[in-house]
Amino acid sequence: MPSIEPFALFDCSLAHQAIGRSCSNLRDLLEALRTAPDTVLEHHMMRCALDDHFELYEFPNDLARWCWDALGDRMLAEQLGLVDPYQHPTLAAVRATLINMIEDRLWGLERVPWCRPGLELNLVSSRIIAFDTGERMTTLAGLAQALPGMSVRSLFFHVHEARRRRKEGSDDFSTWLGQIGAEPALVARLRAVDFYFLNLNQLRQEFIDAFRSYLADPSILLKVTA
Amino acid sequence: MKLLDRYEEVVGPAEVQRLRQLAARLGDRRIVHVNSTRSGGGVAEILGWMVPLMQELGLNARWEVIDGTADFYRVTKTIHNGLQGLPIILRSADLDLHTEINQANARRLNLEADIVFIHDPQPIYLPRFTAKGKVGRWVWRCHIDASRPNRSVWKYLEKAILDYQATIFSMAAFTRPLPCPMFLIPPAIDPLSDKNVSLTEEERCETVRRLGVDPDRPLLLQVSRFDRFKDPLGVIAAYRLVKPYQPDLQLVLAGGPADDDPEGGEVLREVMDRAGEDPDLKVLLLPPDAHRTINALQRSALIVMQKSVKEGFGLTVTEALWKGKPVIGGACGGITLQVHDYHTGFLVHSPEGAAYRIRYLLRYADKRQRMGRTGHEFVREHFLLTRHLRDYLTTLLCLDNPGEGALVA
Repeated sequence: MPSIEPFALFDCSLAHQAIGRSCSNLRDLLEALRTAPDTVLEHHMMRCALDDHFELYEFPNDLARWCWDALGDRMLAEQLGLVDPYQHPTLAAVRATLINMIEDRLWGLERVPWCRPGLELNLVSSRIIAFDTGERMTTLAGLAQALPGMSVRSLFFHVHEARRRRKEGSDDFSTWLGQIGAEPALVARLRAVDFYFLNLNQLRQEFIDAFRSYLADPSILLKVTA
Repeated sequence: MKLLDRYEEVVGPAEVQRLRQLAARLGDRRIVHVNSTRSGGGVAEILGWMVPLMQELGLNARWEVIDGTADFYRVTKTIHNGLQGLPIILRSADLDLHTEINQANARRLNLEADIVFIHDPQPIYLPRFTAKGKVGRWVWRCHIDASRPNRSVWKYLEKAILDYQATIFSMAAFTRPLPCPMFLIPPAIDPLSDKNVSLTEEERCETVRRLGVDPDRPLLLQVSRFDRFKDPLGVIAAYRLVKPYQPDLQLVLAGGPADDDPEGGEVLREVMDRAGEDPDLKVLLLPPDAHRTINALQRSALIVMQKSVKEGFGLTVTEALWKGKPVIGGACGGITLQVHDYHTGFLVHSPEGAAYRIRYLLRYADKRQRMGRTGHEFVREHFLLTRHLRDYLTTLLCLDNPGEGALVA
């Protein structure tokens, strides 16, 4: 039987880049969705989770937030907030969904919504730089113990990025726990977490709660203070 | 104790360890930062901590400062104003002077390095006059709100940017299409510097009393250079609108001189004139090293103002939030990244708006305190020097490994 590798903890950092382009109205946004590079779409729909400021934002992506805050198009914001890019097989599919949604909205509007100056959506692309921290976990308890102090960037890498990296579409934690023979119910519970809906600190708490139910000594999960 | 170890107490040992791990991937890269002053203003402050920390991370980092004449700084101030959108007139003789001084500095400074970061427009033409092969990569770091620049100024700077391999801006809103990558790095503060470190109650009270401020009465404070873009007159107007409702209110406008800002004296005189003889309104011209004094003032304030009409980032906002103070800020530039209505303070668009929010915050102590707590955590997460350093290291890794896909370093 092949030996199972310990869990290798990675951290990551985002390099943000402006593309020198912004949207002032809904038509601009539609045009951007048609033509902007994938890295821009990835950033505003997914990686923006790393820029989240506590729980200041109601929506999980920049496009929904901008439509709500800057354009004042509440209906479209609500629709965009429900687009889960991780449920789409490819970025092209995400793009098609968004384009269709905005085309549909524009079709039904008498006037194109504009934002006032200063509230433009400035398009940003990002690149993820991941690196091995050298930290290794060999048991369920070890992984659980590391969770409270783990950076939100590590969480993003092992949950959000992992869903796109792994063919089976699961996060790194549950995949590894599955390999070491952890309770299938725990593995299933982790995989069922609606991570796109949560900000990263909420996600950490959700995982801690899940681990707590399956640990012999739940007290190792100290209260999150990070 | 090493410099970085001291930050472990603020951000945790893991954050510091991650910086070391990222930096290790860059080896002993030779890095030079160049700006126009060693003291005064946010850039000099940032470089004051960033260079020693980069050195401690194993990078071979240095800081060079250009020399210039009074006329040169008059021109660079005009360029600065133009970059921030003021209508300005630049004669060709002014531009010639700017490039000549850059040429002279290119000869004088030791710029041999793998990466040279040029901060702001003053030294922007150095690459043009530096021997090829001496510098691996040039990066222009713009700290200024360049969202609506004067066209002629932008055209002049754009020509210089052609010699750069990358640029860094504080916000995407400050960028416009350029032929090289435009990285985004908001600046940050040093929580352990004299400006931000905890003070004893005794030191705080004694310091502000010495300045003629009563530590037991409500204090409004704006700390910034005496610069029209910081709208000190607007702050005075807001204070006067509130004063009838809160007669014990005090206002302090505190600023310092900067070597590269020749307009400061003129604006200070305007502010003094407007302040008049009001004993509760103090205009303080502090020396560039009065960091603990500013610290004491910020900690004594009930509300901190940064009513700028243009702002690159607004480190004074970050400092105030870190000290648990709600901030009323002009809705411009980097202030909008930091001040979120009802969470960390209020964004305002006029002296009347500022006055209204001051009255609100004076009335609701509980909201003031909640915003203060939120602001402190917000800065811990996003605007401390550890994040700033991490962004620089990440940018360096990106420059070393061009491409779009995820990079496993």
